[in-house]
Amino acid sequence: MNKTFKCGFAFQPKTLQLLFLSLLLISTKGLAVEVKGLVQLNYVKASDQSSWFEEGTGILAYSQDSANVQQALVEVSDNFSNGLSYEVVANYYQLGEQNLGISQAQISYKPLSSAKLRWRARVGFFYPKLSLENVDTGWVSPFTYTQSAINSWVGEELRTAGLEFTLYSPGRTRNSPISFEFHGSLFKANDPLGTVISWRGFAMHDRQSLNNDRVPFAPYPSVIGEDRIFHPNYVEPYHELDGHIGFYLGAHVEYYKQSTLRYYYYDNQADPLEVNHQRLYAWRTKFHSLAVQHKFDANTRVLGQWLSGSSVMGERFVYIDFDAWYLMVSHKYKAHRISLRFDKFKVREDDIFPWDQNNSDGQGYTLAWRYDINKNWQIGAEQHINKNSADIRATLGENIQVDQNQSLAVLQYRW
Amino acid sequence: MSKFILALSLLSASFFAQSKQISVSVLTEQNVPVSNVVVYLTPKNPKQSNISNKIKIMDQVNTQFLPHILAIQKDTQVRFPNSDSIKHHVYSFSQAKTFELQLYKELQADPLLFSNLGVVELGCNIHDWMLGYIFVVDTPYFGKTDIQGKVVLDLPDGEYQLDVWHPRVQDKFSDLSKQVTLPAESEMKIILGAALLPDVNQYEEISGEFSDYE
Repeated sequence: MNKTFKCGFAFQPKTLQLLFLSLLLISTKGLAVEVKGLVQLNYVKASDQSSWFEEGTGILAYSQDSANVQQALVEVSDNFSNGLSYEVVANYYQLGEQNLGISQAQISYKPLSSAKLRWRARVGFFYPKLSLENVDTGWVSPFTYTQSAINSWVGEELRTAGLEFTLYSPGRTRNSPISFEFHGSLFKANDPLGTVISWRGFAMHDRQSLNNDRVPFAPYPSVIGEDRIFHPNYVEPYHELDGHIGFYLGAHVEYYKQSTLRYYYYDNQADPLEVNHQRLYAWRTKFHSLAVQHKFDANTRVLGQWLSGSSVMGERFVYIDFDAWYLMVSHKYKAHRISLRFDKFKVREDDIFPWDQNNSDGQGYTLAWRYDINKNWQIGAEQHINKNSADIRATLGENIQVDQNQSLAVLQYRW
Repeated sequence: MSKFILALSLLSASFFAQSKQISVSVLTEQNVPVSNVVVYLTPKNPKQSNISNKIKIMDQVNTQFLPHILAIQKDTQVRFPNSDSIKHHVYSFSQAKTFELQLYKELQADPLLFSNLGVVELGCNIHDWMLGYIFVVDTPYFGKTDIQGKVVLDLPDGEYQLDVWHPRVQDKFSDLSKQVTLPAESEMKIILGAALLPDVNQYEEISGEFSDYE
């Protein structure tokens, strides 16, 4: 058997010191614990419209031409022979309110099994696996730097602190090209989900919110006014406000490793009348998500996702229906990867306050080129353009309709 | 007199330990060649044969077992390197060898000894689409058919039992077994009676590229 496990099982009750010593040896030699990391440094040519991080109304992350740390993350994981594993992702972000923190932490149990129908479970703070875009280490996209509107929102507001149970059947064990998985989860927290797309609208970026993060947005008078909705111009998305347990259900179907379909239904079951001392509300948010991917061969794939749902807060103070989709083509040629994505997104309101304007929509094109110099270093460039509108900008005396461009040059190191 | 000549020739054959090249083809009833079939000839009167000390390799490449089917002689050691930049957790529930092995990306696991005959089905608890086989035989005379469904083996004259094995073959393997006397026969055909199980090796063509769930 593997040396690591000889070390791992060499535990004698009276020799606690030895255990610590062996654990130290294991971790310093990098044998048992797997540590992966990824750092992206960029130079950005930003659009004129300042971003929500600066309390502006733009839907792109950067407000000035500048050099930045775009991503810096470490993923620590280990698998044990009894089927237990853990995974923690810690991030540093230059942008935003919380600069250092945890974006995912989970313990998984996947018993070894030769059965045709198997089960596994995970508990912790994690993403439902609804995205086919965010498949690189630490939920980063290997395709474009600026992510789809859907997954930009998922990254900034959606995370569940809960338990997910999965029934799955790998096709190859049945001598079949079809594999499937069914996921069901119960979770707490994530009550304010929906806040940011109701007011700011959808955005496009790669900033994932961290464990205690706060997502700011512009100080819209209809939001912050004491005689108006009286809500701060930020959201802390992972609060539990009403004690209700949310759920999601998911189904994955896969044809070989070639075509994939993932459907999720998410409902945080929040009580929209619940409000905390910060005047953050619980938003009852429900949505369907359908993601598909087809690989024409090992190098060329097309993928897309459609998201449709609703969110309500207060006594219908805000009620929105939202819809977004994207379609992306990605092609790999030798060490080059070129990806082109089209996004479309829309938020429509149907609530009691006409002075709080929640209608927003837009579309965007993102073209990225990434080149692997070797297994550690990658360079890349991206051009993004979008047209977007948000009626609420009028309350700040801004044009409703905005065109934004963003150019990025990125150096990435991974280990 | 003729008996005497036969006895003499048999004697000289064994004395000079003549070896002969034989070819075995495996075909479906529709005459379609079947590749990657393990073909093995077990001598009726086994001599003490030396088992190669060489360690065989079952590698993990692009989240697949490589080779898909590894045939080995009984009491051979197999090493499971990991050529991927991600970890694997290889296991088998097969009677011939039950084991599990954590394969970290920069750790060389000790080789495992396979002493029981038969098929060992391999899986990975992290990548559910990975499937591989180790087939353990009790003879030094074995090989796998090529794309033409054919394998050529060098073996000394004598009497043998010819067997084949492949995971997609539905025929009873004992029905496909043949008694062979060398040097009388040199080209043999095994025709499968039952249809092959569906070919799902397309799992090998496009596999996960990115490190997270894909």
